[in-house]
Amino acid sequence: MAADPKQLKLAKNVGSQGIAFGLDRVPESDRIFYGSSDFKVYEYDFGAAKPVSTVFEGEGHQSYVTTVALAGKTVVSGSYDRRLVWWDTETRKQVRVTKDAHGKRIRRVAASPDGKLVVSVSDDMDVKVWDVASGELKATLKDHKPMTPHNYPSMLYAVTFSKDGKWLATADKVGHIVVWDVATGKKLKTLESPAMYTWDPRQRRHSIGGIRSIAFSHDGKLLAVGGIGKIGNIDHLGGPSRIELFEWQAGKKLHQLEDAKYKGLVEQIAFSPDGGWFIVAGGDHNGFISVYETKSGKLIKQEKAPMHVHQFVVNEPHDTVYAVGHHRLATWELKAPAPKKDEAKKDEAKKDGEKKK
Amino acid sequence: MTRRPSDFLAASEHVSRRGFLGAAAAGAAVAGFAEDMTVLDVLKNPVIAAEIKKQQKHVILLWLAGGASQLETWDPKPGRPTGGPFMPISTNVPGVEISELLPKMAGRMQNTAIIRSLSTGIGDHGGGASLMETGRRKEQGLQYPDLGAIIARELGRTDSQVPDYVSFYTSTEGRRKGTSGFLGARFAPMFLSDSMIPPNIRRLEAVSDVDHKERADLRALLARRFTQGRDSRNNVLGSHTSAYQRVRGIMASEKLFSIDDEPTAVRDKYGPTQFAQQCLIARRMVEAGVPFVKVARAWWDSHGQNFETHQELCADLDHSMSTLLDDLQERGLLKNTLVITLAEFGRTPKINASLGRDHFANAWSTSLSGCGIKGGSVYGKTDADGQNVAEGKIGAGQLFATIFKALGIDHEKEYFIGARPLPISDFGAQPIDAVLA
Repeated sequence: MAADPKQLKLAKNVGSQGIAFGLDRVPESDRIFYGSSDFKVYEYDFGAAKPVSTVFEGEGHQSYVTTVALAGKTVVSGSYDRRLVWWDTETRKQVRVTKDAHGKRIRRVAASPDGKLVVSVSDDMDVKVWDVASGELKATLKDHKPMTPHNYPSMLYAVTFSKDGKWLATADKVGHIVVWDVATGKKLKTLESPAMYTWDPRQRRHSIGGIRSIAFSHDGKLLAVGGIGKIGNIDHLGGPSRIELFEWQAGKKLHQLEDAKYKGLVEQIAFSPDGGWFIVAGGDHNGFISVYETKSGKLIKQEKAPMHVHQFVVNEPHDTVYAVGHHRLATWELKAPAPKKDEAKKDEAKKDGEKKK
Repeated sequence: MTRRPSDFLAASEHVSRRGFLGAAAAGAAVAGFAEDMTVLDVLKNPVIAAEIKKQQKHVILLWLAGGASQLETWDPKPGRPTGGPFMPISTNVPGVEISELLPKMAGRMQNTAIIRSLSTGIGDHGGGASLMETGRRKEQGLQYPDLGAIIARELGRTDSQVPDYVSFYTSTEGRRKGTSGFLGARFAPMFLSDSMIPPNIRRLEAVSDVDHKERADLRALLARRFTQGRDSRNNVLGSHTSAYQRVRGIMASEKLFSIDDEPTAVRDKYGPTQFAQQCLIARRMVEAGVPFVKVARAWWDSHGQNFETHQELCADLDHSMSTLLDDLQERGLLKNTLVITLAEFGRTPKINASLGRDHFANAWSTSLSGCGIKGGSVYGKTDADGQNVAEGKIGAGQLFATIFKALGIDHEKEYFIGARPLPISDFGAQPIDAVLA
């Protein structure tokens, strides 16, 4: 069944164990893995008759599990505790722990499309490339500055692979974006998105924004980043959710989109396979999920989410969104409506006629 | 309860509170101090500098405006649903743990006491700030002085050429000027909101120094004539006159507010943030004899993204506070300088949907370092999730009484408004001896 972004609607909405921060999904299934504020990693199968969150066993983490990535049959989780933990998806047991994987809190991990590599980003501002099979550190990529222009510690929030696995993109608190060549570890391009850095120099003298999400289009030509726009009252996430789209190789910004209706951080972005539209989600005290047309930047459909969405993934036909957030798990569907019977008969007759000709 | 003799507000100052001038050994040198307006130059005189260090006590209040989270600073709750993502770290005092966001302070707890059991009950910014600034709830028709004004009065010198109470608050959110209340304008803060150097303190070039002195003499003559035959206890007249007397001294103290004269190595230690630089100026002021300096770091009000906010602001607090304590220690000033971290309240243990923490006055923390403090002590305890005080609940009055006692000020001392006695600590408030040296 084809996806239709106009049909976006909430399908399932259940409680999670703790605050659910990061997830990944088993291909061709409704099974997800998620990391939680209770320091644990869970599996949850939306397709089960009576789904429950099943905990993974092992030494695990000592702080919030901010991110998980599925690489083949291995789930790699990252945490504020600076550890990477490697789990077997079949046994749900820990197979390896990399203590001190980073010098500071780990924000996000991403698996390469072939499942051979995992990349982690951290507030130590390092981008680390790991071999999934051996757990060996293959490369450390450096370009993100450890301090903000106002001399406070910066943060490296976002990382993603391109669909062909050739490129890697990372983005930080002050809006610095880097595209890397995965094979060589070389920096291919840098882009800047300074509006994502929400430093308030006068009223409150701090910042809470940054680029929180990043995604390539499937053809690799576009790069989207998400965060928050200018915040009037920086006590809250009271600024417009913000997205910027780039033709990254040309360094050309296509759109900068802000939504003042649904405020807060854009925590995740995903393009449709043909690149015609993209989904974003996030929130402030509340949550939202929105779909935009890529070419025009126009909003196609938007819904209030039952929670601040921390991350989502989309299935292969791109018609189901699996999301985790503030004490909740949810799915949305974007399925094109089935054709009506009369129309189906007409279609069949038309096809028959074409065959006879 | 034994009370000391009444301390009428308009009465002349007790000599005992002005011990600095009464120190015979340094008498001649002190006269020089009063004559020479360039205070820091005077401090190069080792006799005077030593005498100041020996006798005068000071307070540096690090005001964490908006309300810092006790869970991300002094009272971590690891592994609890309320605990947040940060881990506790051991300190150099065995058995005492604080948040990993304060790693530098963790190595310097030998001079710091933590109180984890403040329960103050007022959870709005204005009301909470008023309570924690004055040590008591507001009273209709009576404006109490804040801590800075009381310290200025109790520890200031009558002939001081430097301000007695300086307050930095450069952010605009939650800005409060402070109040000397019924103590009068003499003890009001020099309030710095736009620059670290007071505006308009330089003499106009068109006015010579001689002219300036003559104008001051003329004003003093007129003031004396005006006050003759009037009630000598009239506080307004006294405040007005004393304020003018201090103007020339303050005009000459511009150097106090500049860090340019500090060696590069010292400036580098403090670093480039505004809060750190204000802490450095606070140290300069203490060194020059200012009794009370408030450095406000706004804005900790982390309703959204509490953890991101505290990663940023705790880094500033940890570095600035630890550098300040080291600097005071190295100069022999820490034993006579009380460094306090305080705010209007703490933050909720519950983590809200935007990963924030809201206002919380039920169970929160403060720290006291240096003068009169039993370093490494921890007073009070909150329950497992930090929702309530489990042991040693105290209010603002007890904290103030503790501060006064640490500084050698009689916490039961009374001021009088007419015949009405007003204790400097809230009625009946007793100090926490467990955190006092």
